[in-house]
Amino acid sequence: MKRIKKVQAGNTATPFRSGVNSMCRTSQNSSGLYAHIPFCKSKCAYCNFYSEPVSLHDTNRLVQALLKELSQADTRLVRTIYIGGGSPSCLPLSELEELVKAIRSKCPNFVEFTIECNPGQVNPEMLELLYNLGVNRISIGAQSFDDNELKCLGRIHNSKAIETAMYQARQVGFKNISLDLIFAICGSTLQKWQESLDHAIALNPEHISAYSLTIEPETPLGKAIEEGKFSAIDESTDRAMYEQTIDVLTKAGYEHYEISNFAKPGYECQHNIGYWQNRPYIGIGPAAASSTGTCRMQNFSDIKTYVNAIESGQSCVEESILISDIERICETAVLNLRTIYGIDIEEFKQFTGQNPCLLFEEPIRIHCEQGLLNIENNRIFLTAKALPIADYVLCDFASL
Amino acid sequence: MDTRYIRNFSIVAHIDHGKSTLADRMLEITGTITSREAQDQMLDDMDLERERGITIKASAVTMNYEYEGHNYMLNLIDTPGHVDFHYEVSRALAACEGALLVVDATQGVQAQTVANAYLAVESGAELMGVINKVDLPSAQPDVVGEEIEHVLGVKKGECFHISAKTGKGVKEVLDAICAFLPEPKDLSNEKTQALIFDSHFDEYRGVICYVRVFSGKLKLKQKVRLMGTGRTYLITEIGKFCPKMKPTGELGTGEVGYLISNIKTLGDVTVGDTITDDAEPAQKALEKYTPPLQMVFSDFYPDTNTDYPKLRGAFDKLALNDASFSFVPQNSPALGFGFRCGFLGLLHMEIIQERLERENDIGVVQTAPSVSYEVVTHDGKVTKIDSPSQLPDRTHIEELREPFVRLEIITGTDSIGNVMKLAEERRCKLVKTDYLGPTRVIMEYKAPLAEIVYDFYDLLKSISHGYGTMDYEFMGFEKSNLVKIDILINGNPVDALSLIVHRDNAEQRGRKLIIKLRRAIPRHQFEIPLQVAIGGKIIARETIKAFRKDVTAKLYGGDVTRKMKVLKKQKEGKKRMKSIGNVQIPQKAFMSILDTSD
Repeated sequence: MKRIKKVQAGNTATPFRSGVNSMCRTSQNSSGLYAHIPFCKSKCAYCNFYSEPVSLHDTNRLVQALLKELSQADTRLVRTIYIGGGSPSCLPLSELEELVKAIRSKCPNFVEFTIECNPGQVNPEMLELLYNLGVNRISIGAQSFDDNELKCLGRIHNSKAIETAMYQARQVGFKNISLDLIFAICGSTLQKWQESLDHAIALNPEHISAYSLTIEPETPLGKAIEEGKFSAIDESTDRAMYEQTIDVLTKAGYEHYEISNFAKPGYECQHNIGYWQNRPYIGIGPAAASSTGTCRMQNFSDIKTYVNAIESGQSCVEESILISDIERICETAVLNLRTIYGIDIEEFKQFTGQNPCLLFEEPIRIHCEQGLLNIENNRIFLTAKALPIADYVLCDFASL
Repeated sequence: MDTRYIRNFSIVAHIDHGKSTLADRMLEITGTITSREAQDQMLDDMDLERERGITIKASAVTMNYEYEGHNYMLNLIDTPGHVDFHYEVSRALAACEGALLVVDATQGVQAQTVANAYLAVESGAELMGVINKVDLPSAQPDVVGEEIEHVLGVKKGECFHISAKTGKGVKEVLDAICAFLPEPKDLSNEKTQALIFDSHFDEYRGVICYVRVFSGKLKLKQKVRLMGTGRTYLITEIGKFCPKMKPTGELGTGEVGYLISNIKTLGDVTVGDTITDDAEPAQKALEKYTPPLQMVFSDFYPDTNTDYPKLRGAFDKLALNDASFSFVPQNSPALGFGFRCGFLGLLHMEIIQERLERENDIGVVQTAPSVSYEVVTHDGKVTKIDSPSQLPDRTHIEELREPFVRLEIITGTDSIGNVMKLAEERRCKLVKTDYLGPTRVIMEYKAPLAEIVYDFYDLLKSISHGYGTMDYEFMGFEKSNLVKIDILINGNPVDALSLIVHRDNAEQRGRKLIIKLRRAIPRHQFEIPLQVAIGGKIIARETIKAFRKDVTAKLYGGDVTRKMKVLKKQKEGKKRMKSIGNVQIPQKAFMSILDTSD
């Protein structure tokens, strides 16, 4: 137990200071670590992420490969850790334990350690283990509280399972829980979405990610829609649901801090904030991406290719792309603007050496005129009106 | 040479009826070229012509042929076979005493055959009927012979049955040319009169004039005068086409050949002008024929603005070799700098466009073709306009006149109904219907040119299962109930989208256009009204709905590369659009007025 106390530092740390300024908390030198578990018990109908049925694979061999990749990574600056997938919760407990332990010892200075959990797969034993190993944040893939919607998405869980998972996580001591929700699911209505939101709020998670359903053509859902088995939600309803989300969650005390993310003050996801600040990150596992700021690398997606490369001592990087100064500047602008805080002009100057107001003078002027951007308190940020059409604005920052 | 042994003739035919093949065979039989050096279809010397099976520029060739113990000089003047090139046909015919009317035995008389035959008759040339391709299994020389007799008045029994491909019957045609076609009048003692019936620009030698001497003669180093312009030139080379240019030192009465002098540009030579001796000029010029009428106009803009000088250079080059093509700089607020170009017709336009892209590697955006109109203002002044933007304020307009053509359509009797329906939709008035035989009919219409310039021919082909052919001839401008329709995008009129149309069609055309625009213009974050207005009155409206959502739900580390690419593309798409007011309009929207389909 002594050991556990020690690693619980992350849990007991004072929550991050509230509000927009929390964006600036992560130091410029920090980085994040992302570990990708490419397995799922079964593939969800809407998902186009890389994952394979867990039953077909030797999970241990993959975990060993991950550990080997990790051992070679320079993790000295890692402050945030995120294990995602796929479904990390479909790994056997012992393997999960080995992975978490290895990451923890490789990244002793972490402040946030998140693991994604499928509500259909968690149990008290797993949660307790994770908690005791120092994981201080779990992200539950709830998606919806409407069982018909869950079925449409091809999820293996029902709404009851979400409540159970939430309850169990609290029981073992988790103080930072995030729920992932999806709106604009086929057949949904503003009323149903309201119910899902109410249900989520009632469970009192610290953090909520609410994503509009993206229908990817190559997924079973995409095909079902093409075949007319389901019909996609129209754009106006989608937008209304988005606006409803912002309205309902803000009223319930959640701060809207990124296009699709909401948190109680101080509980913003630090790992993801790192992405939006264009900080470096290390990705391990199949299909994982890493960025040093000047170079972005993508690992082999195919599990076998990845594992073989690692085992034979070769590089598991499938593609690496050099990022020019201009590209880095543009990426930073686009990513910053996804946050409600926006671009911090001073910080942007420090980070890129360029004044965003001069560099992006024209798009800033045009979009300010149209009421889509605002400059205030040394920040450039999207207005409420711009959020539902953010890409229309952001694309003008995508190149110079 | 003794004019009794000179024959000047043309071959007129519908496209693909075998005119060029017949010419090749004649060149071979007369020994003008050997079959080995015979590049197929010798007379078509532009790639484009050979590819499309169309002769664009008239060519001339001199052949020697022995008939009944005499050596004859046969001058064949080639003519284009397409509907757009009436003018070129007429100038070639003016230099001839006879014409061979070639008809495909498998296809029968076609609209162009009729049109060209009329031109030949008008020019006074003697017609000789030639039924070609009689060797093909599907040939019906008797039926075709009847058609020729019925429509063109050339006796069935007098038609020659030949196969230009195999050479069968060609010699008989050559004999008949010597025997039956009229000889040129012997005016060798008169003062010099020679007709310029064509010209072309040679990069190394300057302007080459194609001439037919009607009286007197032309010789090397002679100082000649162009009677139209009054300018004088010294002949530096004179000769015949055999078929390559061969200097002969002189051209006598009745002869056909070329001359080169110090004429610098094609603009200095008017085709149809008369050449005479400067010291002893003729009393009057030969009768001029109708100058080419530019009937179709269209704006060409370079794909990228930086290509503008390149486009101008290319047009300069094209105009050097094509006196019927013109261009003037044009600046559209929507499309930038470009040129307004005038053409004889649609095929002519297509050829120029193709040559432009092929020979110069320039991508162009082209606006909808339109015709020219006559505007009569209250003060009685008549002005010609070729673009809706040139239309004066309607309070000054007394009347508007549009060009009408005599349109001839030849089609199978089974598609008469379809043709009549199409013609009616296009405001064409039936003048007469005539049966060529039990299954084919010739229909004559009076048609507004504006209605047939764009897609009429394609539609005719489609409703007649490919059998229908058409030709048209300009008749004149007539008062018409025309209105200008303006298109307003988000309340702003867009001049590049204005159209002049008949009042009866205005609403329908306008409505179709804004429906097309609605599809072509991307949604904005605000609603965009599209309106059709006539003289300030809105007659139709469409709305482009605002887009409601455009945002990526998730953007984390692994998504950045892909998403940045997508956003860059989105930005590029925005860039390619033209801003009018606060609406971004893609170039393809400007092209949507071209498309009159549903």
